[in-house]
Amino acid sequence: MPKDKADLLQGTLDMLILKSLSLGELHGYGVIQRIRQLSDEMLNVEQGSLYPALYRIEQKGWVSARWDVHETGREAKFYKLTRAGRKQLETQEASWDRLCLAIAKVRQAT
Amino acid sequence: MKWLNILRDRIRALRQREDVINDIDREMRLHLEMEVDANIRAGMSPAEAREKAMRSFGNLNRAVDAAYDVKGGGIFETLAQDIRYGVRMLAKHKAFTSIAIITLALGIGANTAIFSVVNELLLRPLPYRDADRITTVWEVSPSGRHQNSASRANFRAWRDQNSSFQYMAAFSDQRLNLTGTGEPEELSSQFVTPEFFKILGVDPILGRTFLPEDDKGGQSPVTVLSYGLWQRRFGGQPSLVGNTITLNAEKYTVIGVMPPNFQFHIKQRSGTGRPAELWTILPMPVGPGENERGRFLGTVARLKDGVSVGQAAAEMRTIHARLSEEAPQFNKNYSAEVLPLREQFFGNVRRPLWLMLGAVAFVLLIACANVANLLLSLATSREKEIAVRAALGARRMRIIRQLLTESLLLALLGSVLGLGFAWLGIKALIAISPRDLVTLQSVGLNLTVLGWTLGVSLLTGIIFGLAPALHISRLNLNDSLKDGGKSESGQASGSRRLRNALVVSEIALAVVLLASAGLLIRSFVRLQQVDRGFNTDNMLTMVVRLPDSYREDPQVINFFSQALERVRHLPTVRSAGIVNFLPLYGGLGSSTGFKILGRPEPPPGQGPSTDVRVVDAGYFETLGIPLLRGRNFSDAEQREPKHVILINEALAHQYFPDQDPMGQRLDVNMFDKPTPAEIIGVVGNVRYDSLVDEAPPAVYFPHPDLTYGFMTLVVRTDGDPTAIAPAVQREIRALDPNQPVSDVRTMNQVMSEWVARSRFNTLLLGLFAGLATLLSAVGIFGVMNYSVALRTRELGLRLAVGAQPRQVLLLVLKQGLGLTIVGVVLGLLAAFALTRLLSGLLFGVAAVDVTTFASISLLLVIVSLLACYLPARRAMRIDPLRALRYE
Repeated sequence: MPKDKADLLQGTLDMLILKSLSLGELHGYGVIQRIRQLSDEMLNVEQGSLYPALYRIEQKGWVSARWDVHETGREAKFYKLTRAGRKQLETQEASWDRLCLAIAKVRQAT
Repeated sequence: MKWLNILRDRIRALRQREDVINDIDREMRLHLEMEVDANIRAGMSPAEAREKAMRSFGNLNRAVDAAYDVKGGGIFETLAQDIRYGVRMLAKHKAFTSIAIITLALGIGANTAIFSVVNELLLRPLPYRDADRITTVWEVSPSGRHQNSASRANFRAWRDQNSSFQYMAAFSDQRLNLTGTGEPEELSSQFVTPEFFKILGVDPILGRTFLPEDDKGGQSPVTVLSYGLWQRRFGGQPSLVGNTITLNAEKYTVIGVMPPNFQFHIKQRSGTGRPAELWTILPMPVGPGENERGRFLGTVARLKDGVSVGQAAAEMRTIHARLSEEAPQFNKNYSAEVLPLREQFFGNVRRPLWLMLGAVAFVLLIACANVANLLLSLATSREKEIAVRAALGARRMRIIRQLLTESLLLALLGSVLGLGFAWLGIKALIAISPRDLVTLQSVGLNLTVLGWTLGVSLLTGIIFGLAPALHISRLNLNDSLKDGGKSESGQASGSRRLRNALVVSEIALAVVLLASAGLLIRSFVRLQQVDRGFNTDNMLTMVVRLPDSYREDPQVINFFSQALERVRHLPTVRSAGIVNFLPLYGGLGSSTGFKILGRPEPPPGQGPSTDVRVVDAGYFETLGIPLLRGRNFSDAEQREPKHVILINEALAHQYFPDQDPMGQRLDVNMFDKPTPAEIIGVVGNVRYDSLVDEAPPAVYFPHPDLTYGFMTLVVRTDGDPTAIAPAVQREIRALDPNQPVSDVRTMNQVMSEWVARSRFNTLLLGLFAGLATLLSAVGIFGVMNYSVALRTRELGLRLAVGAQPRQVLLLVLKQGLGLTIVGVVLGLLAAFALTRLLSGLLFGVAAVDVTTFASISLLLVIVSLLACYLPARRAMRIDPLRALRYE
């Protein structure tokens, strides 16, 4: 199992959470599952990291939260991307792409 | 937005801590359940599924805590904790808390009170439109006398030739008699040119102010009333505007009423000494025979945009240089100056005020040192508690923060009580302030002042809290846990050093304040003792101004001689006289050129000059001015002009050093044509302008030679002079029922008004110095008391092995005395450097005065010995047995 924290650059977790929510409303557990799915089981976010990050993002106004009933009949807290969050995601993805491109160029320069 | 969300969350976390934690907890547990479900779906047994989920989740509580740190917790939570804890601590140590709060409140209260005055006089905008663009313009006399009044001719030249000012107006305070409705009354009127109100930019509340066409002749004169006069004499009737009132027997049309607080009063240059109650147009006649050269005008002007005061002043000097070339006999060696309005009004109080603010800052510092010391002493009893907290894992920053929160709490409580003190202090300040600080009436606690107080109290909280906090947080855990620091030796020597340093600086600060106050007090005493040249006891004075209906000089002379005759026959009256301007009347010392006949004419502007007074023969006896040579005015000389004068000793000494002045003739420039007068006598010197300066040369004319319709009556009585006032007024009224008198005061009142500012400064600084001494006495008492408590065992041991109680007493006193002497020496060094700032306020005493410095040092040593005595006596009475068992 790959270590998530060490491999993730600062701020990347935020981007991953935002990205996973961009496909639809999710609860905390769902966010972890979706990141795992999308990364082909390579990225496993720990709950202990997820929730502080989620709350920080909520305070920044990028996501909104509400309690609702889950399909299993259980209650859960659902997070939804706000317009500001969508914009933030775009910015972060763009800068991530730039960073990847830059790193790639450096690596090819042999 | 972002910080708003954070703030909302944090506040919510504070208020509903449980709710927030439950919410997080619930979310996490549901998360766990989902994972368990998923594991079961993946084929695990329920127990296995739960265990795996739990393992992947880690410590649930820690996860909740980590999440809570984001949502709530943080600084707000610990702050709330610290405050709760601090309040409990303060409530537990009631004696400490009340002493600390009162000490701080005294310091903060004094600061707030003085700052509110500084704010009002030196910081707040003046009540005129764009007041920083308004200036006054004055002449500077050849003798270097500043703020000298201008002549009409010079004012006109300034106004017409300058390019720096948008408008320029002249003003002159004079008295007018109001008759017609009710009692006749003498009013203080400001004669102004029409631009006056435009310059100040204040609108009337009713009607209008002056227009340029009001200055043209051929119509009835107009007047603008002050709100006070309108209310007092005319019941505030709006219909008064447009109607006429009678001033000096002439009808004036009232055209407007100014708002309640409007005034433009420059006391030291006012001919009435009172704020104006109405405004009239200042006549500016042009032509031969008009007195164009007499200097009696004040000038106020508004700068054009972009012109600085310096530029304007330079231009005015240039214009004045031209004027002295054009008319050297009047303007030679005269110059001009431009003063910003604030400088004009408060220039003379600025320095004392900043000094007072400095003094109260010292008081506050002493209070801070005291509270810091108290905190240190208290900390010793808390050492164990703090050590336990540290042992349980509290970080040093956390402990410092806790202790600082407590000191800030103390400071805030102190400032709340301090505001109460300040409120009382401001009331007291207003009550004892000199009357010419008129604007002091509006001083109060406003937002600026409250802001200042808050800032000061936060700062003090940090100042007195930081040193103890840093110190305590550095304590050695082991030592403290072992014995709680209950012995002097076990106590870190750093703490003792810090405590001693605090007391030494308190004493040093108190020495500086005491030295300053001592110097002011000595000056004040000197000022009272100065030989002013006349006797002030049992003397009544009042001003009588005859209206223009007394056209001819003989009428005026007759009126006053009849009035004097009547007054002299009243019971208890010993003598009576008249003079045009009383001594210390306020700034109108006229310096007039003269020629000594038979001597070569000096170049223009460099001739001798003298003070000129108009009196009757009774004046000298009444004031107790001795006739040194020659004779007084005869009856005939008091009936019609005989061209005789008396001179004072200073003039005789200065201009006739080795010559008999008797029979010499002087031509004083008070007349249209040369009018030499013969010296018939020499009288003693009188300090007319100020008590501070030596008496200048003076010439006395009898009333017929130089007739004034405006005279001050002086009456010496047996017993209380005020008792005779109604009778004197009755006699005047009997001569002319329409004739008012004004400014009925005893000469002692006149004197005391003159020294009012000096008394005010002395009183305030004395008060602060007393407060400083008291606080440092409390400080040294606290330190010695504490030290004795710590040394109980050691002292008990000494007593047990045979020390005499007296020796123990001396031991303690010596320790206190040592601290005091170090403090006094440091304080004296600082005082040497700082009292120079007082030099402008001192009179007859040097800024470094050995007597003063020695006596205040002695005073402080005595006070601190007294403060040490109680702890020392306690030390003496220690029971050796109990002290040893104490362990």
